Amino acid sequence: MPRNVALFVTCLVDMMRPRIGFAAIRALEAAGCDVVVPEGQTCCGQPALNSGDRDHAAALAKQTIVALEPYEAVVVPSGSCAGTIRCHYPEIFAHDPEWLPRAQAVARKTWEVMAYLDEICGWRPEGVSMDAMATYHDSCSGLRELGIKAQPRRLLKAIDGLRIAPLQGEETCCGFGGTFCVKYPAISNAIVGEKAYAIDATGADLLLAGDLGCLMNMAGKLHRQGSKIRAFHAIELIAGMGDGPAIGEEA
Amino acid sequence: MSARDAILARLKGPSPDQAEADALLVAPERPAVDEAALEAEFLARLALPSVNASHDVIGSMADLPAAVARYLAGQGEARTLCLPPDPRLTACDWGGFTLHDIAAPDEAAALAIARRGIAETGSLIFETSPAAPMLPNFLALHHIVLLAVRDIAPYLEDAPLTGPQPRAHYWVTGVSGTTDIEGTYVRGAHGPRFLHVILLRN
Amino acid sequence: MSAFTDRADAALADPILKIAVERTAGTAEAKRTIAIDAFPDFEAARTRAAAIKDHVIAHLGPYLEQFEANAVAAGAKVHWASTADEACKIVIDICQAAGAKSVARSKSMLGEEIGLPHALAEAGIGRVETDLAEHIIQLADERPSHIIWPAMHKTREQVSALFKAKHRSPHVEETIAAMAQSARRELRTQMLSADVGISGANFLIADSGAVCTVTNEGNAELSLVPPRVHIVTAGIEKIVPSMPHAIHMLRMLARSATGAALTQYTTFYTGPKRAGDRDGPEEMHIVLVDNGRTKMRDEGLAEMLRCIRCGACMNHCVVFRQIGGHAYGGTYPGPMGAVLTPVLDGLAPNRDLIHACTLNGKCQEVCPVRIPLPTLLKGWREKSWREGLEPTSMRAGLGLWAWVATRPRLYRLGTTIAVRVLRLLGTKGWIAKLPLAGGWTRHRDMPKPAAQTFMAQYKKARRP
Repeated sequence: MPRNVALFVTCLVDMMRPRIGFAAIRALEAAGCDVVVPEGQTCCGQPALNSGDRDHAAALAKQTIVALEPYEAVVVPSGSCAGTIRCHYPEIFAHDPEWLPRAQAVARKTWEVMAYLDEICGWRPEGVSMDAMATYHDSCSGLRELGIKAQPRRLLKAIDGLRIAPLQGEETCCGFGGTFCVKYPAISNAIVGEKAYAIDATGADLLLAGDLGCLMNMAGKLHRQGSKIRAFHAIELIAGMGDGPAIGEEA
Repeated sequence: MSARDAILARLKGPSPDQAEADALLVAPERPAVDEAALEAEFLARLALPSVNASHDVIGSMADLPAAVARYLAGQGEARTLCLPPDPRLTACDWGGFTLHDIAAPDEAAALAIARRGIAETGSLIFETSPAAPMLPNFLALHHIVLLAVRDIAPYLEDAPLTGPQPRAHYWVTGVSGTTDIEGTYVRGAHGPRFLHVILLRN
Repeated sequence: MSAFTDRADAALADPILKIAVERTAGTAEAKRTIAIDAFPDFEAARTRAAAIKDHVIAHLGPYLEQFEANAVAAGAKVHWASTADEACKIVIDICQAAGAKSVARSKSMLGEEIGLPHALAEAGIGRVETDLAEHIIQLADERPSHIIWPAMHKTREQVSALFKAKHRSPHVEETIAAMAQSARRELRTQMLSADVGISGANFLIADSGAVCTVTNEGNAELSLVPPRVHIVTAGIEKIVPSMPHAIHMLRMLARSATGAALTQYTTFYTGPKRAGDRDGPEEMHIVLVDNGRTKMRDEGLAEMLRCIRCGACMNHCVVFRQIGGHAYGGTYPGPMGAVLTPVLDGLAPNRDLIHACTLNGKCQEVCPVRIPLPTLLKGWREKSWREGLEPTSMRAGLGLWAWVATRPRLYRLGTTIAVRVLRLLGTKGWIAKLPLAGGWTRHRDMPKPAAQTFMAQYKKARRP
């Protein structure tokens, strides 16, 4: 039976790399889901929440809850945005008897896209092939708030010809941290510099991860340093869209 | 208002429930110890790089002076020993040794009796008393410890004394070490550089 | 720019600091991993440790009174201090009453927190720091940069030069072992001749009145046994109900701090020497210090009172690993320091500490008492925002963005325009220089967005 699934696109994917959203739709449809993109969505409010701006975070959370409530499940191509909805929305409304149950209900049915495909749909890509060596960075929010670790690796394993090179410090933060990277650019740069060095040292052709913010940070550093490593959101490969332009390549 | 009253006024609250405190101790997570092989378990921990102790075995108290002499000879040290005024030790025949009961600032070797050995960690358990000064065990370069095999217990929970406490109850789990310079481990930072355990098996 | 970013920039520009921090923190991280992997069910043990501390914090008043009664019954004198200054005054008064010319101090972060080294100097009382790292810090006239390895920021070469300049008979051979021996020679006689020994406490045992210290060097015992007077300064949160509770916490502490199963020397002191004892002090004083802790319990930081000062959070922090401890500017560095320093030194001057964190959650993952450090930092950020401490540009920017983002149709228009503008700034897929986001493009390129937003493309594709 097809599942009625809402895609929460995320503001970064919407603006910077729509391909990730379309890849998510393609994979979800292949897994038998009916995918809808609710109109009322913009940003989950994470920038406000992490800056201490509770009021605006609550306003955006309410808007998002209203947009996502009607669906059986909510799927997000980002561990940190999914983590915000799943873990932090109930915290925001902890003392609001009207909104808390609504926040909890949406939280319970919200999934990071690769976790949803793997754990809920039990789906694997079929007939997808990619002759390349990739390395995988575990983005922090997905890893530690949602336990995203084995799911992307299980999905990627089903791609013919794709080899995974282990990344030294794969669970170490890349130094993105949302507004952190522009508030403390020198510290952020030192962290991503080490990450880029570790990625280069794998000898991989591709860098994969599950969060566009981290990917832009790492890919931007690799490109500045003249590295030839190409970066994709893992869902792009999983959906069979790995033959398209990588992050920073013209379509 | 005194500081005591001010602090306690801010911390007013119900007295703790003993059952609640006890419930926090049920089935503690701890390294597994084979209670049927306590001596072997204890010796295995004693030999770990972090504890780094040598050991010897004797059959009776009469063999103790010879075991100490053997150890000191092996270390190239004179038969000079800081011996606490414990009647179990002073009763031994220390012929051939130079003994004293107050440790010098550069004491070479001190002997002490441990009340317990703990297999979980390879720890030696001591208390202070008129017959058991504490300082020699920290000043000496060679800390020599007598431990009866029957006094080896499995877990750290077996270490504490019940009832009135002495001035100091202390656990020794190795030698004086430091990693304060670049995280590199060095033995003999301030106190003993060598720990030698003599097991009494009877 | 701020004092914090100035210090951080200086740290980032110091390649020797990076090497020094990496050598110690890297080793600690590796050893901890091995120790935790070998421990049966460390996750359950963390939950238990947090529960023990929460139980104590919930009943802190009664437990402190129980501890006091037992310590007094054992012959110790118990003092209470609400502030750092009060605590220092109590210690100085005891030293002066004892006619002390010199004190031997065994490393205590609480002592650093209340400014005890400075107070002793003001009172003209000589101070011998007996922990090797604190000795290095004292010789260099610096502050600790880590709570377990206070001299973490120094390389062996720097320590060697320092000892050669300051020790009476310094090492000849250029090895770490020889340097440690040089310190041993220098410190031993000083320790044995001190009039007063001062320590902190790792745990205070409520049902016996015992004070627990842990060291690997044995310097606590050498500092506290010979002098006539032993003074303990301890934070009121150091209480545990009984020895078995302390034992659980000790198992967590050593593994989290150094990766050992236990520290080499673990001692429980209960009162002064007893009649007939050959050694030990004639007086024992315990100073119980609040210094903001009751306020933390009342104002949303109770979980921070679980902290057992193991240092795992900083060893595993990507920011700490880059800038070291001194850049934080307070007594306590790293994630736990970023939460504590605003309590101790005020929020406004330490606003950077609560923001200079990527919220990656690693600190919380390794914390042996499950302190939700990122959540506590976010709590500080909310307080800073509420109190108007955040810069106007930030407030205005976020306000404008949120105003637009809560109006989806306006937001679509905004993103459409933003994408067009961004594309004008890029060449061949990348933007090398971005106005208003110079922090990004100073160090890395920004990928150029696609020609149309997802929402625009999706709408077009679904149009029948």
